[in-house]
Amino acid sequence: MIVFLKSGAGKKNRQNIINFINKINGIKKIKYYGNKSSMEFLSKRLKNLKSVLKNINPKVMPSFIKIHFKKSAVSAIFLSNIYLRLTSLKGIKLVYYNKMLENKIMQFMFFTKVIGFILFLFLLILSVFISYSAIKLIILRKQNEIEILKLIGATDGYIRIPMFIEGEIGTVLAFLVSISLLYSIYKIFIFYGFDGFLNFFHIKIIFLNSVQIAAVFLIALISGIAGTYLSSRKFF
Amino acid sequence: MIEFSHVYKNYDKNYILRDLNFTVNKGEFIFITGPSGAGKTTTLKMLIAMENPTHGAVKFMGTELNDIKKSEIPFLRRKIGFVFQDFKLLPKRTVFQNVALGLEVSGVFGDVITKNVSELLKAVELYTKKDEYPLSLSGGEQQRVAIARALVQNPQVLLADEPTGNLDEETSKIIIDIIKSFNNKGTTVMLATHDKHLIADTGRARVIDITKA
Repeated sequence: MIVFLKSGAGKKNRQNIINFINKINGIKKIKYYGNKSSMEFLSKRLKNLKSVLKNINPKVMPSFIKIHFKKSAVSAIFLSNIYLRLTSLKGIKLVYYNKMLENKIMQFMFFTKVIGFILFLFLLILSVFISYSAIKLIILRKQNEIEILKLIGATDGYIRIPMFIEGEIGTVLAFLVSISLLYSIYKIFIFYGFDGFLNFFHIKIIFLNSVQIAAVFLIALISGIAGTYLSSRKFF
Repeated sequence: MIEFSHVYKNYDKNYILRDLNFTVNKGEFIFITGPSGAGKTTTLKMLIAMENPTHGAVKFMGTELNDIKKSEIPFLRRKIGFVFQDFKLLPKRTVFQNVALGLEVSGVFGDVITKNVSELLKAVELYTKKDEYPLSLSGGEQQRVAIARALVQNPQVLLADEPTGNLDEETSKIIIDIIKSFNNKGTTVMLATHDKHLIADTGRARVIDITKA
């Protein structure tokens, strides 16, 4: 985070600001850059403009304080809080802490959640449709058998129950394959350290816990039942 | 036992049955006759609630079938055995399993199935072929399996729709004799046919010609 000071801010004011920053928990180190060191800072980073910069009076350069935070303390809320507290202080012109990047990350995380939710709905509908199609195929294959069973007095339940069982077996198998695949992908992410990379953006990769697995299993069962019901409804 | 009262049936503007009236008493043997398209099959299908009359009433054991609930249809069909011209056997099940199916759908399992199915297969002289599949049997044998399946639930009525339609004369006689033997034991039989040779040998059977309907 960089805190730009007003050009007229005195030494006392500057010291107050530095003291204030030092008291904040989570600060790793701070460094003050005066007009001259500000020019040096700029010259170091813009080496190809050195000839232009040497003609500029260092007095026009802003003085600023560069703040380094402890990695464990950094979060979007923490930075926003510091930002608000610093901007309320006297003698501060501008506080820059790459808000844009944070916003982008937040947008990305929100976008990811929205996409995840849409994907979840899509997969739910897809799973119902797959169950529907699978059972429909079974029904079409057994249509003749179903007709005969109905003619000799079989109830709808007698005909439908095996279909539901068949549908649910398919659903359970699909669930087991999906969870195994998901776990494999998770392990690959961990193995290649991709979780560390995403951690930089405060995105944690975690595998589903037992409650979530049970919830997914339940959703899979319900989608299987719904698919079987929809496909068999036409024939009864 | 069975009553058709002013029954009409039409598909669009084409009337299949017009003012059909007859009654069938318990233990009777009835031939339903008439040319192709006269409505013989439709008449039989009305008794198992596969078809509904456009007008009029069909009654079975005092119950008007027009008003029967969908959930009650399977229980009605267990009281009425149906034999089809094309046998309607399940090709992937053995002769024994095909006959047993009639009991299984009624919730009967175990020794009762073995006993009843074996008895019926002996009655239609197919016990030795109980483990064979329908497609390995002749047409006459397949029809005997179908009769056994229709009778395994001990129905009050046996409906047969052109049961000899795909069979030669000699085999047809065997099938009719088997059906008659069950009729002699008390099962009411309604048999739809356009074969005049079969009707000529009716014995005490009654003929209902629905051409006149």
